[in-house]
Amino acid sequence: MPKKYQTPLLDELEKGPFPSFVTEIKKAAEKSDMAADELGQLEKSYRDRRGYGKHGGIVGVRGYGSGVIGRYSSLPEEFPNVANFHTVRINSTSAFFYTSKFLNEMCDIWDKYGSGLTNMHGSTGDLVLLGTNTENLETIFAEFSSRGWDLGGSGSALRTPSCCVGPARCEWANIDTLAINYAITQEWQDEMHRPAFPYKFKFKTAGCAVDCIASIARADCSIIGTWKGNIAVDQKEVANYEKGGMNIQEEIVNMCPSKCMSYNGKELSIKDADCVRCMHCIAKMTKALKATGEKGATILIGAKAPFVIGATLSWVIVPFIKMEPPYDEFKDLIRKMWEFWDEFGKNRERIGELIIRKGMREFLEYLGLDPVPQHVKEPRRDPFFFWSEADLAK
Amino acid sequence: MEKAEVAKKIYELVEKSTGKKKLKSSDIQKTVSAEAGVTRDEVKDALRDLVDEGKLIYTYFGGSFVEIPPKQ
Amino acid sequence: MALPQRKTDIGPPHYKDFLPPVIQKNYGNWKYHEELSGGLMVHVSNTGEKIWTVRVASPRLLSTVTIRDYAAMADKYCGGYVRFTTRNNVEFLVSDEKNIEPLQKELTSKKYMMGGIGDRISNIVHTQGWVHCHSAASDASGLVKALMDEFADYFTTKTTPAKVRMAVACCVNMCGAVHCSDIAVVAIHRKVPKIDDDKVKNMCEIPSTIAACPTGAISPDPAKKSVKIKEDKCMYCGNCFTVCPPMEIHDPEYDGVAIVVGGKVGNLRSNPKFSKLAIPYIKNNPPRWPEVTKAVKGILDAYIADAKKHERVGEWIERIGWEKFFKVTGLPFTFQHIDDFTIARETFRTAATFKW
Repeated sequence: MPKKYQTPLLDELEKGPFPSFVTEIKKAAEKSDMAADELGQLEKSYRDRRGYGKHGGIVGVRGYGSGVIGRYSSLPEEFPNVANFHTVRINSTSAFFYTSKFLNEMCDIWDKYGSGLTNMHGSTGDLVLLGTNTENLETIFAEFSSRGWDLGGSGSALRTPSCCVGPARCEWANIDTLAINYAITQEWQDEMHRPAFPYKFKFKTAGCAVDCIASIARADCSIIGTWKGNIAVDQKEVANYEKGGMNIQEEIVNMCPSKCMSYNGKELSIKDADCVRCMHCIAKMTKALKATGEKGATILIGAKAPFVIGATLSWVIVPFIKMEPPYDEFKDLIRKMWEFWDEFGKNRERIGELIIRKGMREFLEYLGLDPVPQHVKEPRRDPFFFWSEADLAK
Repeated sequence: MEKAEVAKKIYELVEKSTGKKKLKSSDIQKTVSAEAGVTRDEVKDALRDLVDEGKLIYTYFGGSFVEIPPKQ
Repeated sequence: MALPQRKTDIGPPHYKDFLPPVIQKNYGNWKYHEELSGGLMVHVSNTGEKIWTVRVASPRLLSTVTIRDYAAMADKYCGGYVRFTTRNNVEFLVSDEKNIEPLQKELTSKKYMMGGIGDRISNIVHTQGWVHCHSAASDASGLVKALMDEFADYFTTKTTPAKVRMAVACCVNMCGAVHCSDIAVVAIHRKVPKIDDDKVKNMCEIPSTIAACPTGAISPDPAKKSVKIKEDKCMYCGNCFTVCPPMEIHDPEYDGVAIVVGGKVGNLRSNPKFSKLAIPYIKNNPPRWPEVTKAVKGILDAYIADAKKHERVGEWIERIGWEKFFKVTGLPFTFQHIDDFTIARETFRTAATFKW
């Protein structure tokens, strides 16, 4: 029987309507010594108002430098069963679809070799198994990989790519996010499992500018589906929205950022050449409006959290690229970007930080891309710009 | 150059830096390919074997490095 | 017992093997969807076929016991198919309309919370916190639980002017989308790290420790083979601690949380935005952080009272102006609100137009 801790503070977090993580830990703690000590240590954190985790080091599975994060308690004497509390990242499926069969198998393995605690999912999108010992790592890897599942990324490597639900269950997807996500993951297994980058690199693929996967905020490379044709309007459905209580002038026309729409009480017209494809009207009138014509993606680079120079959102590098198998143009572009990063990047420098340090010009020239107005919000305002010999000769 | 020789050079480089500077995989690829006159891919390949055999391991200290495993 | 044969570099299994048959058949052929309630939507394909989604909140930190329960319900009502969302909700994918009600009944009887669809508060994305993170300045799961209990009605039934996306990060490393959320809580340290010189000497690489500092506050201390910190330059971010653990940053007396508002990731109507500082510090008060839930509720109530339909928190604030935001929320404006980091001058008011 695992040890039972008194947890008066955590017990307070079992009250209320929202499902409780404390209840989850307690469920696992009925069977697992590790989960029991995790509960005890967490109660102490609540008492002392500080964490007791440590991370880093040398644990992993043979041949890989990714997928396992060494985590330890800083109080191993008090909580010996979480002295090791390693995290295993399992590469999730595209758009997080699962079968009950897999989930049950996963639980069987994890009850046997781990704490019974998981994250569905981690921030990057891995299926995260929380808490196991060093000696179980090879077994866990063998159990999962023999069933067709591999480890995700960690460290200075390609991190597990993720995508929105896309064409699997969304009418707005301009690109096949699941297929792209799968192709990226399979193409760069080595980059994921044997860290050779200056720092982490994340891909996120969104089917449209609604960006349900938060690619523009959270991925070094954001792939956002878009289109070049018109928005097809079904006027009958427009009328139905109005009948249903929608104020089309207020809610749709006035909120269009490019002011490319008008409504005369009967017909909604769109000046497509002025549309910036923000998705507001389509999202609010999904039965009436549909993107048509050539579909592809905008590639943006550089989003990351605040370290070290402040948070960044991804910015446009390629305004439009076709995203169809085998995605050769896209893959070549990415390889070229990684080459640039490998050549000039410092340890722990994300690709976006490097581009800011070196300047967009160097990056674009390295990729062989011409400057276009779509790259910027506005041109520079300072008079301090470079002229190369080649520029002067023009 | 034979793969075994490349592997030997990689191992020596890591050994030499131990305790001085942690090396990243790309540091090793750059240095060994330049010194031995082989391609980066050849270095990568030999490095992969060394890690598969357990002679070298990946470590993580705020970034991923390649090191000699600690003596048990 | 012999281990099964391990395989390397196989990647994840193909997603097609995990899609319900109706999705496989109508992949890329969806026509529209309708939100039927806070926790139920239906997607309709061009062929007329439908799939219903019942969305349920999860605490993200899940035991195998609960995952097995999800699997059992998926077997019973969904042909074994279930998915998770990027905001840690669980989605039961129902192909047969008559299974919806029994599934909802079972979920209700087991006290699962259905909701999060449409113009509501969806689940709060968050980080590891005191569960195991090394640099946490607060817990994440506990803050999420306290906040979502407070706003449960806005998850299940009540609506907001537009969707409201919240996040909690347990330190400024922000392993969650705190920097682009409508309302987010980010835990902060407020004291300069304490350096253990002997350990730094043995455990840390001096150049990478120095490079980790965003403000250039760290310099070598050759005499001690360690580093020193110029205290007036340190912003307590803890990045040095991540690279070099003997630079202890935790201080339970002074650690706490800040609240940021007005961020978004979608491009709808207005461009993606960063969250900006609303409240620089609230003391950690576990287990339920009542001061934090009260502060978030204050901001949310002001937004609901004043925003136009479809306006996200950031769009509402931009329309009324930040000076008005501080007025209507009654939040004090402090020196901490004025940026003095890398983009400071971009944020100064270079116009004579503002509200009293």
